[in-house]
Amino acid sequence: MILLESHNVIIQTTLTDKAVKPSYLDVLFVDFDGVRFHLSTPEKKTVVQLSMNIRSWDELAAYGALDVLRREYGSLIRAQTEPEYNISLDIDLEQLPANEASREAFIKSISLLKRNALAAPFELAFRQQKTLEASGSSLGDLMQIHYRDEEAIYVRASPDRVTVIFSTIFREETDRIFGKVFLQEFVDARRQPSIQNAPQVLYTNRDPPLEIRDVPGLRDSEDIGYVTFVLFPRHFAKPDVSYNTVSHIQLFRDYLHYHIKCSKAYMHSRMRHRVAEFQKILNRAKTEVATTERKTVTGRTMVVR
Amino acid sequence: MSQLAPIICDNGTGYSKIGFAGNSDPSFVFATAIATRGPSTQPTRGGPPIPARPGNLASKRGVEDLDFFIGDEALANAKTPGYNVHYPIRHGMIDNWDHMERYWEQTIFKYLRAEPEDHYFLLTEPPLNPPENREQTAEIFFESFNIKGLYIAVQAVLALAASWSSNRVTDRILTGTVIDSGDGVTHVIPCAEGYVIGSAIKHIPIAGRDISQFVLNLLRERGELAAVPSEDHLRVASKVKEDYSYVCQDIVKEFRKYDAEPYKYFERYDGEHSVTGKKYSIDVGYERFLAPEIFFNPEIYSSDFLAPLPEIVDDVIQSSPIDVRRGLYKNIVLSGGSTMFQHFGQRLKRDLKQLVDRRLEASVVSSGSTLKSSGVDVDVVSHKRQRYAVWFGGSLLASLPEFYTSCHTKAQYDEIGPSICRRYQIFGSAT
Repeated sequence: MILLESHNVIIQTTLTDKAVKPSYLDVLFVDFDGVRFHLSTPEKKTVVQLSMNIRSWDELAAYGALDVLRREYGSLIRAQTEPEYNISLDIDLEQLPANEASREAFIKSISLLKRNALAAPFELAFRQQKTLEASGSSLGDLMQIHYRDEEAIYVRASPDRVTVIFSTIFREETDRIFGKVFLQEFVDARRQPSIQNAPQVLYTNRDPPLEIRDVPGLRDSEDIGYVTFVLFPRHFAKPDVSYNTVSHIQLFRDYLHYHIKCSKAYMHSRMRHRVAEFQKILNRAKTEVATTERKTVTGRTMVVR
Repeated sequence: MSQLAPIICDNGTGYSKIGFAGNSDPSFVFATAIATRGPSTQPTRGGPPIPARPGNLASKRGVEDLDFFIGDEALANAKTPGYNVHYPIRHGMIDNWDHMERYWEQTIFKYLRAEPEDHYFLLTEPPLNPPENREQTAEIFFESFNIKGLYIAVQAVLALAASWSSNRVTDRILTGTVIDSGDGVTHVIPCAEGYVIGSAIKHIPIAGRDISQFVLNLLRERGELAAVPSEDHLRVASKVKEDYSYVCQDIVKEFRKYDAEPYKYFERYDGEHSVTGKKYSIDVGYERFLAPEIFFNPEIYSSDFLAPLPEIVDDVIQSSPIDVRRGLYKNIVLSGGSTMFQHFGQRLKRDLKQLVDRRLEASVVSSGSTLKSSGVDVDVVSHKRQRYAVWFGGSLLASLPEFYTSCHTKAQYDEIGPSICRRYQIFGSAT
């Protein structure tokens, strides 16, 4: 598994199960970046309520998340949101599409709830870019999404591109080094002819990139890094390309941390292998204990008890 | 913002139960299997290949270490050329750490979709797990995944905690005997105030798999399986075991009942051939009560293991320290799928009570005294959450506020090292 998937597996499997055999349920679970979900059947077995709490809801709502969700889910959205959560959907299991394939597609679309909510600022930026390009004015507004306690995504549209900047914090020194190597690889890998069309990636440690240097309250410490993606119109011109761009870019931070962890696991397996090899050498070097029989004058053997 | 729910991970030999604290059922139950690419020999021997060409890192190595599947997907890919399925846990203990590390990696990122840095983890370990294994586990979780905090609990203790959900349990005690019967083996584990009495543990080589096999034998002897395609035999047998079996109180009476009114007691099982879709149906008769009977009369199934379960439980308690025996008799807790038979608890209680009473009488007679013992309470607790009792107990404990203070945190780990996991703290019980 190289890429993380953008849908939530728990929502998908639970709904698929319940579509066949409805029963009461009440489950709490999470998704990346501190998103909390609550899946329950408050009234009757066949109506499942899915609620989501997302940390940066206010910001997302300001960038049009509700419109995106309305477009995706339409009448499923409950007027009365469950307390402590930001959005609730009602899924009537009796009114699922009868056709196998379309039912799967429907359930999949529900499991993309978090992705769709987070897609709003990106879609907005893509639209802004188009208007800016047409009008020829300078820069769009800087959109900030504080999706984690100390980390944020900054999105800004310009007439010829959209810039996406992630700030990320490495709590561990080892992680920081892995992250640095990993991100440098990103820059190198882009030189390969097959992926020249990929967005440009820049990485800076500690110093924020020029675009967001004037944002107040940026953390100034060694453990913070900034990753900048420059998206050109070709990355979001067609709907399916733009869909993929959004799906991938919003999981970038988790992707990065996932791969740092995978690299560490790989290192550990190498280390274990090495230790086993060394142990073999050490075992070979063991001197054999001299076990000569010692006898008394009368011919009896001495036995160690 | 409130804290994110701790993750409960119960990795067993056959199945892993994974989910978030506070829920009543695990979010995922799948096989503890990993399908990796490469030669069928265990990669711990060969190790990952050493890169041949110099150059930038990306060309040095591929992504073979990311190319693997876990759980059901692993089993689905078992026959894909190039993939081999491994089971990283043997007899409840982790055998292959490379595979296990990657197994956890995918559990967390693909299935749970959680950032491990934001969560506390509760893991389980079998009784008599060597402390080195806990240290290894702690190393993986703190160093690879940078988790916030870790608590490693003994499975038997969690099963005791799960029994608090039963309405017959009034106070939260962690003293009791746990009968844990899964697919491969049945353990009888005595616990005193949250600590396992290691010297008294006993294992019984009869569990779910044997019951299915026994049902299969019975059906075959009666000639019921003639209509069933041979590849479905074991599946049908385990279905019969799960859906129709119960524990009877008296085997002779039960036989007589069945013979008098076969139409009342015989059930019919309808199946469908998994490939051709051809329908078939079989009669389910005596195996309904004979299947779980092998716990109480093992001689009907095996010729080398003959001690009935109640006797083993009695032995275990008798070899425990004398001051906890009363507590052990009073709180016998069932856990695992093979204890789910109807009336299993009642039968065990009755048989055990007989054993205990007989011994008390004998001691009165042999001492020749006129004083009589006040008797020993024997009670078997069954509850609704028996199947995933260990996981449920973990979920229950991890949602207590004391959980966070009993965990080993990342800071402590960095200060002291993996050896902190040798010590663990009991919490949550009322005493």
